[in-house]
Amino acid sequence: MIRISPGRSLTPWLLIVPSFALALFIIGYPLYNIVFQSLHEVSRFGLIRGFCGLDNFRKVFADPVFIASLVRTLWWTLGVVGGTVLVSVPVALVLNQDFYGRGVARVIVMLPWSVSLTMTAIVWRWAFNDEYGMVNVSLQRLGLIAAPVHWLATASSAFPVEIMVGILVSVPFTVTIFLGGLSSVPVDIYEAARIDGASGWQQFRKLTLPLLRPFINMAIVLNVIYVFNSFPIIWVMTQGGPTNSTHILVTYLYERGFRLGKPGEAAAVSLVMLVMLFCFTAVYLRIQNQQRKEA
Amino acid sequence: MRIDPRKLRRSLLCWLALAPLAVVILFPFAVMILTAVKPADEVFVYPAKWLPSHFRWANFSDMWNATRFGVALKNSLVVSLSSTLLAISVSIPAAYAMARFPFRGKGFYRQFLLVTQMLSPILLVIGLFRLAAMIHWGEGNMVDRQASVIVAYAAFNIAFAVWMLSSYFATIPIDLEESAWLEGCGRIRAVFKVFLPLAAPAMVVTAIFTFISGWNEFAVVYTLIRSDANKTLTVQITDLVAGRYTVEWHQVMAATVLATLPVSVMFAWLQRYLVKGLALGAVK
Repeated sequence: MIRISPGRSLTPWLLIVPSFALALFIIGYPLYNIVFQSLHEVSRFGLIRGFCGLDNFRKVFADPVFIASLVRTLWWTLGVVGGTVLVSVPVALVLNQDFYGRGVARVIVMLPWSVSLTMTAIVWRWAFNDEYGMVNVSLQRLGLIAAPVHWLATASSAFPVEIMVGILVSVPFTVTIFLGGLSSVPVDIYEAARIDGASGWQQFRKLTLPLLRPFINMAIVLNVIYVFNSFPIIWVMTQGGPTNSTHILVTYLYERGFRLGKPGEAAAVSLVMLVMLFCFTAVYLRIQNQQRKEA
Repeated sequence: MRIDPRKLRRSLLCWLALAPLAVVILFPFAVMILTAVKPADEVFVYPAKWLPSHFRWANFSDMWNATRFGVALKNSLVVSLSSTLLAISVSIPAAYAMARFPFRGKGFYRQFLLVTQMLSPILLVIGLFRLAAMIHWGEGNMVDRQASVIVAYAAFNIAFAVWMLSSYFATIPIDLEESAWLEGCGRIRAVFKVFLPLAAPAMVVTAIFTFISGWNEFAVVYTLIRSDANKTLTVQITDLVAGRYTVEWHQVMAATVLATLPVSVMFAWLQRYLVKGLALGAVK
């Protein structure tokens, strides 16, 4: 790389400008516009009625549905990301073994990644249908339930079902990251551990887990960002219902902005979410830096 | 091939461990495919059965006509292909710069791309809609136009494309280009003659994944596109389900099968490249 003449320092920028300009325009302007709308009274058709300070934020924070959605978003993110990591670590360890049919197993585990979240949500919505859905049919056939369960029409079961679907669609990506991590682990250290008489569990605790640590961290951060922003699963399966019991911030935001005709308040929700995401990233970077110093 | 008994035992254990997850993953696929070929009177019967009495392939042609599937399919193709072309053509030079040049602002650009990854379309959807409404074009504005969806997809895919491409580009040895320069080949010509042919597989793989992400996207089309004539598959099929009292589930499942399987097959075939590209990118 050193051999490239330094006189051409403009070239890399010329190469970068097209992508930079496009991304900046499509992402920068809406960001500016959201800040603007959140501080103004906006009609349902997008007409700006005038500056209103923090009124939109006040209205949103006074809405009990917003507060409930905020809390539920935290549970949603925690549930999906936590569940995903718990499922993905053992799955990645298994897929890293040498066994017959591993190629097929990998393809099966990766499958949910290839289907759009929207389609997955539609199929699950049908599978959880009260009378005709295959979930109730199969559970009844197995004798696990006596009568059909109203999965998506009941507040207490709809949200856990959605978390389950959320975990399922996040597993492939997470397993991929872990497999990448495991492939960088040298095999001979396990040989050495085995000679020293370490049990399987000890090998996992003392060798695999520490080596996977950075990859687990990366998977948590990326998944938190994706899951926090995940819209189609809940929107398609329950639209935040029954009686607002499955709203998370993104579905609340969409309903405010495009169904209830309150773009100003929706913009305020967007900003609250952005602040939450940036806080999370900042805290994460801080922890990572501390760990790096300690190491 | 000789079967190793120890490996066979291990295989059994591995499959046993994966079985619960495999069942849950394959469950929706089974539901989707079996419902798609069931006669309607067997779909809505209580108690329902898993297997259809006979395969009713006519569900597909009924669905095609009833849901205007062809129009949505064409729109999905147009939107995904154009946005992929746009995203890749601006990302290739950027990825080349990231992989080949040391320059001031490289770290800044990497951070910028990271931030664009964090700002998902759904967070910006209110602003995106205003942006589209603000730009005047012909008779009206950019709302309900495929061009606005295409440009938005391309922009949101740049970070992924640059990451994938630059991590692959970095594995192509620079010596090849340098020896071309020594033979009197200009710098730019060397890129076209030597570098790009070698980088072609990486570009194709990245393009396919960008295509899939456009194919599967929902929130942006759902917001920016209003008329049926411009809707893509994800939104068109959601409209068959959302806010309706009677849903023709066998037709909906037939539609999801057609919208999903081709992409799934392509993905299953190519997933190892994605694994490799992401891993290469993650190391740096």
